[in-house]
Amino acid sequence: MKKNKYLLMVSSIGVFALLVIAAVSENFLKDWHAIQGQARAEDGPIEVRLRQVVNNDLRRTDRCVTCHVGMAPGEQITSQLKVAQPHKPVVHDPAVMGCTTCHGGQGQATEMDDAHGNVHFWTEPMLPAKYAYASCGTCHTPLNVPNLASLTSARQAFERLDCYACHRLDGRGGTIRPGGNLTGMDGPDLSHIGLKGYDAEWYVSHLGKNREGASEAWKASFREISDADLRLLKLLLDTQMGAPKLIEARAQFNSVGCTGCHAVSGFGGQNGPELSRVGEKDPNQLNFRNVPGERSLTNWIAQHFRSPASTVPGSLMPALDLNEQEIDLLTMYMLSLRRRGLPDVFLPKDRVKAMRFGAREFLTEPATVYSTICSSCHGASGKGARFPGNPPNPSITNPDFLAIASDDYLYATIARGRTSRPMLAWGEGERGLGDAEIRGLVAYIRQLGGGVQFVSDGRPARWVSGDAPTGERLYKANCAGCHGAIGGGGEGPAIGNASFLTAATDTFLVETISRGRTGTIMQGFATPNTVRPALTRAEIESIVAFIRTLEKK
Amino acid sequence: MENEERTALNTFWHNLRAVPVDLYRAMFRGGAPVTDRTRSSFVFGNVFLHLHSVRTHLWSLRWTATMGLGIITTAAFLITLVTGVLLMFYYKPYPDVAYQSIKDIHFIVPTGRFIRNIHRWAANVMVVAVILHMARAFYTASYRKPREFNWLIGWGLLVTTLALSFTGYLLPWDQLAYWAITIGANIAQSPREITDAMGITDLMDIGGLQREILLGSDIVGEESLIRFYLLHVMILPIVMAMLMAVHFWRIRKDGGLAKPADVNERVSVSQPEHYPVFTEEPKKTYQLAAVVKGRTPAVGSGPENTVPSMPHLFYAELGILMFTTLVCVALALVSDAPLKELANPLVPENPAKAPWYFLGLQEIVSFSAFMGGIGIPMLCWIGLGLIPFLDKETEGTGEWFGGPGGARLTLWSMVYGFATSIAVEAFAIRFGWLREWFPDVPQLVITFLNPGTVITALYAAFSIWALRRFNSTRAGALALFTCFLCGFIVLTVIGTYFRGPNWVFFWSPADWNAH
Repeated sequence: MKKNKYLLMVSSIGVFALLVIAAVSENFLKDWHAIQGQARAEDGPIEVRLRQVVNNDLRRTDRCVTCHVGMAPGEQITSQLKVAQPHKPVVHDPAVMGCTTCHGGQGQATEMDDAHGNVHFWTEPMLPAKYAYASCGTCHTPLNVPNLASLTSARQAFERLDCYACHRLDGRGGTIRPGGNLTGMDGPDLSHIGLKGYDAEWYVSHLGKNREGASEAWKASFREISDADLRLLKLLLDTQMGAPKLIEARAQFNSVGCTGCHAVSGFGGQNGPELSRVGEKDPNQLNFRNVPGERSLTNWIAQHFRSPASTVPGSLMPALDLNEQEIDLLTMYMLSLRRRGLPDVFLPKDRVKAMRFGAREFLTEPATVYSTICSSCHGASGKGARFPGNPPNPSITNPDFLAIASDDYLYATIARGRTSRPMLAWGEGERGLGDAEIRGLVAYIRQLGGGVQFVSDGRPARWVSGDAPTGERLYKANCAGCHGAIGGGGEGPAIGNASFLTAATDTFLVETISRGRTGTIMQGFATPNTVRPALTRAEIESIVAFIRTLEKK
Repeated sequence: MENEERTALNTFWHNLRAVPVDLYRAMFRGGAPVTDRTRSSFVFGNVFLHLHSVRTHLWSLRWTATMGLGIITTAAFLITLVTGVLLMFYYKPYPDVAYQSIKDIHFIVPTGRFIRNIHRWAANVMVVAVILHMARAFYTASYRKPREFNWLIGWGLLVTTLALSFTGYLLPWDQLAYWAITIGANIAQSPREITDAMGITDLMDIGGLQREILLGSDIVGEESLIRFYLLHVMILPIVMAMLMAVHFWRIRKDGGLAKPADVNERVSVSQPEHYPVFTEEPKKTYQLAAVVKGRTPAVGSGPENTVPSMPHLFYAELGILMFTTLVCVALALVSDAPLKELANPLVPENPAKAPWYFLGLQEIVSFSAFMGGIGIPMLCWIGLGLIPFLDKETEGTGEWFGGPGGARLTLWSMVYGFATSIAVEAFAIRFGWLREWFPDVPQLVITFLNPGTVITALYAAFSIWALRRFNSTRAGALALFTCFLCGFIVLTVIGTYFRGPNWVFFWSPADWNAH
């Protein structure tokens, strides 16, 4: 019976030893013990203990500062320990806001791989450092962002006009001189001016100080600024929220027309999925079959821009032929589309403006509105585009078209869209484009089309009185092949729907059939060609009369 | 203090000082367990210990008698019970939230990962131990009269153990869990193969009904999770505890562990550390005992080689409990319980595998859903339950591989069991089966003629041969049980290690090129 006693003794000692080992490694041998053990403050070694930043309102408990001990509240680490360095100065104090609010990852874990989310199947890994600005999107939303071309020229204007001489912008410029203001600089830091707001009359006062020669700096560094440059400066200042890279990313988003199909924060098309929270996708729920490289959300999004249909089987999204730099910016913007249920007190002004007061995230200036919404389908220059699997998108800058399409027609088409076609009613809904925005777009389209204006023939909207049955026969013979038997569209646009027929005048229809559209397969039917004779004026009018009957069907 | 007056205050003071001693006496009412009499009262005066008999036979205390497998199973159950309750403090049984709470347990809760690992390992130890314990009871012919009923209780405990483990499998709500349970539920649905083949699924969908009862809905969803959770943390543990209590109590009522008839001649009589009781053959027994049905302990017994259960049996039991703990804790330190990505009903795992102890079933389900999921398991199941009623022989009770044929037959059955199952599997893997040769063959033919049924038939044939050769049911049972055990091992190993995406054969998981 002795051996049972020995079994009991040996097993018990074994269990005890293992539990001691587990307890010691859990309590004393974690990496952070070693890090805190090496860290030194002014008055010697620091106390080795678990540290955390707690923010109940944001529901954050971040133990990141257990290793990054220099960022812990009230710690001043003097030793040259890379991991223990303090955070670089930012608007949001990490000791208050927590770490994962911006950086993602797992705040309560205390081992590096766990905390950074570098573990298998972690749902929300840290944002890669180069996309760190994407985290601003968790709470903030960039407002009034122009397209990339405008943003670049605005930035160039700021540089060209030498504003950096006195002002600091995103960590650049602002010479520190004796006798400067509180910060030692001549002018204020403008990095967050878009959020804070500024004196609209600044130019007048600047000019005044320059005229009266308040100081040497005012005399030497300031000159008159042209109206065009003033517009560019305003555009730049309005977007300043301390996240230049994010603004650039949104500007890129505003340059390729994504909004035409995808909605962000309640504005945009419905043909593609909504993107408002696309940056929080769980990488483990994505299909990586055709995505080379690491299984990260960043990598997936970038590959999706390169080849949408192979990344998401069945996707109708066209490959937009983007270069890697554009893809990088778009990826960054996608990552910034993340939300967190925030208590009202934490809602930043920009988000409140966007959510409650309908402020636009894009600049409501025609060029930007066009490149934000229209450019993916109708092309950057309005020449139309076709993508496999999607209906062809017509050219809207064709001179033949612009000459017979009245501004009212263009306006109505933009505002009310086309039933059962990708063209949405952009003027409808709570967040739809306003009157001024649509008018701006109409003018911009004419501008893109080389300034061709509409010439009215003085007739009323409806004047055709042709014979509809004859028209139907002719329609079936000549038009149905492209426009569909009842005008549902096919190779050619849909014409048998109320939204189109309400907007189009009889003159528009007759002239389009007679003259055709240069550069498209729509030929002028008033002139004969090798396979068919010319249609007479009366025949064309009968076709129009038939098309009018489709309105009621 | 002779002169001190007996005031109430003094009495109070006196009583207060006596508390430790009184407390000790209150707990050990019969006195310290140092003499055989107090040792006896120690056992029968304790609600938990009195499930044991007061004295234990030396035969039963040898390590080779049982290998301690029953106690290992019990110990593993206790460990899962303790760690399971600890896990319940943090676990939230709702889809997605469940997954996050397991993540919390794994990454955040102090020692959470450790506790979860212990829980998982103890559960696996329990499944292995319960199967081995059954094999022990079978090979020592311990199911025979009067222990038939206890064999049936053990039969129920085996199901309960598998059910507990299976229901626990879903709770992490990750891909592994989700698809394993989906596969498990599909196995429950397998009668549909027969009803489909007969064209009566619309009238009588037994498979679909079983699956729906199991899952509480058409798919593995929140209903299933709550169902599995409730089964796992409450219903099944209660069933388990009750069956275990009966199981232990029956051991005592059935006269301890099964022993050979001539056991007393086999055990060395005198041990210096204890003295025997009943040194003489008793002349009579007490009539009171006759009121109770069953054998009265003293009748017909010569000198018994028993020792007091306290402390000899309890040292053994405690020793095994600690040993099991040691194994589980050591495994928990070395190997983490798996946790994959959040369950996603839209992205099936490939291969999706059931928990390992069902992979043998999954392997034959891959040939025929009905036979693999219902037919063959039920056959084994009913067969197992009938063993004590079909084998009423007495030869070899209480001895390893006792009975006609013995160890030699068992060894040959093992060789035959392994060889047959491996050969049939290899044939099916190399040359395919009916469906590959005759694509139009009716499903009913495959249901009744597939590698699973062929193996079963070959085993049955061997068993009948053994039965006739040794002219003994026990020999037939030995052959059949051994064969099925070997088949179980072979199929489980193939299902676990050699089946890859689309259930295709692979020599190694490294060759699954899907990932």
